[in-house]
Amino acid sequence: MSEWITLTARTIDAPLLVPGLDPVRFVELSEHDIAALPVSAGRQPATLGDFFTVQGGRSARVRVEWSTDRIDGLGAGMTGGELEIDGDAGSLVGAGMRGGTLRVRGSVGDEAGAAMAGGLLRIDGDAGERVGANTAGAAKGMTGGEILVLGSAGAEAGARLRRGLIVVGADAGRDAGRAMIAGSLFVLGSCGEGAGRGSKRGSIVACGGVTVPPTYRYACTYQPPHVRMTLLYLVRRHGLTIDDALVESAFRRYCGDAGDPGKGEILERVHSV
Amino acid sequence: MEIRGVFIEDTFAEAFGMRGTRLVITARNERWAREAAVKLTGFATSVIACKCEAAIEREIPPGETPDGRPGIAVLFFTMDSDSLGKRLMERIGQTVLTCPTTACFDGLPDLQDRLVAGKAIRVFGDRFQISKVVGGQRYWRIPVMEGEFLLSETFGMQKKGIGGGNFLILGESADAALAAAEAAVAAIDGTPNVILPFPGGIVRSGSKVGASYKGMIASTNDSYCPTLRPITRSALPDGVNSVLEIVLDGLDFASISQAMRAGITAACRPGIRAISAGNYGGKLGPHHFHLRKIMEGA
Repeated sequence: MSEWITLTARTIDAPLLVPGLDPVRFVELSEHDIAALPVSAGRQPATLGDFFTVQGGRSARVRVEWSTDRIDGLGAGMTGGELEIDGDAGSLVGAGMRGGTLRVRGSVGDEAGAAMAGGLLRIDGDAGERVGANTAGAAKGMTGGEILVLGSAGAEAGARLRRGLIVVGADAGRDAGRAMIAGSLFVLGSCGEGAGRGSKRGSIVACGGVTVPPTYRYACTYQPPHVRMTLLYLVRRHGLTIDDALVESAFRRYCGDAGDPGKGEILERVHSV
Repeated sequence: MEIRGVFIEDTFAEAFGMRGTRLVITARNERWAREAAVKLTGFATSVIACKCEAAIEREIPPGETPDGRPGIAVLFFTMDSDSLGKRLMERIGQTVLTCPTTACFDGLPDLQDRLVAGKAIRVFGDRFQISKVVGGQRYWRIPVMEGEFLLSETFGMQKKGIGGGNFLILGESADAALAAAEAAVAAIDGTPNVILPFPGGIVRSGSKVGASYKGMIASTNDSYCPTLRPITRSALPDGVNSVLEIVLDGLDFASISQAMRAGITAACRPGIRAISAGNYGGKLGPHHFHLRKIMEGA
């Protein structure tokens, strides 16, 4: 058994869909078996070995090297083990993942962690639109696990989030947390227009500025105990750099969105106390 | 065996199995964490009449608490799992929930056996409570007039807890016995996984199993009462005029042994004739702390 299985990407000219790259599956696969796994290059069926040099086998730790934004679906549906991606990745990274740890040492395309149900997805760079959101037509977005985006995120981050934690280290685009059902979306930078629109429950923690929709109602200014706990958890567990001043901050609580049940909240940072 | 001239009797402390848990109470400052912890652990000296045994285990610095605030760790013990859950629910609900600025966290998050006290207390929120999962642990945010009370949904339960570890300090005078007992408590203070549930950590009214009265499960330990020396089967050596007991509950055998060793070592001082232990001839429990074995090499 090798400690890490390495998939080194060759030059990839066209979009490539790599489904089913689940490290847990690789525990029973040899180097040859892994190279023979199917991928989709446009409409043409192909194998992983056509695009990657595979080294190692029979391990639940997989590293993809020289990855680019043309490779879609990396880690989608993974159930366990470790997957590291050196470089950027395309869309649907970690979509539907249910367990394990997926780390991208670069930026990713749209729908990263969409409909994710468990595990940890960590993106060191930026994420495209709809990180942790629902897949097209689905009622629920992410239902469990954690997504950390150290950079910024595009529009509709956490749309229809049902459960779990999404953290955006920089700014989030428009409609962050749209129609949230529950769960938490922490945005350490600023939120674009329309944050929390249509949400039923759930928390948007806006640490760097937010335009609260007029359909939300101000409740009070206080120090939410779960916010400081979560921020410290991010520092201690995931090594994020977060100012003590943010941990000690007060927040304005707004309840919404208008309608039933209206139990969502936007927590807007105001100042240090 | 003697330690600094104090005779260590060849006996053992007889203890019994208990269910235990740890709570970590945090607050804006140490004062309020302690206020809650003191109320939480009030009237919890013995399961005989208090239904639980509890005390402050130690202070937890902000760097080690889940929310980065000053914390107090509290250990709780009862005889069975159901009653432990009930006692937690009652006491957290009446003493920690009500105390300004506090939060209440599970202090044994790695244990598989769980008590769902937080899940029960959440209904105080009357459907306005909010759950949050952070790091795989579920917490409840309960709206209160001050702001929000945050607590863990479940608390880890140690099924192999032990109650009734003990040793007796046989003094030449009441002053000497008390000074030695205070030294023992100071030496034990802060030992992880162990509490001393009695006032100041010291018991003056150690009990024996049963009584001459029908229905009483415990009564005064007449063998160690100096005033009864000539009229009962006294266990007291000559020159002993006062006896105090240190009772220890703990999450495991090794921690209690370590605490007993520290306490006995500190108690061996001028004015103390001997150290003994509450040995009930096997009627009380299966856990035996042999004094001389514990003190070997001390």
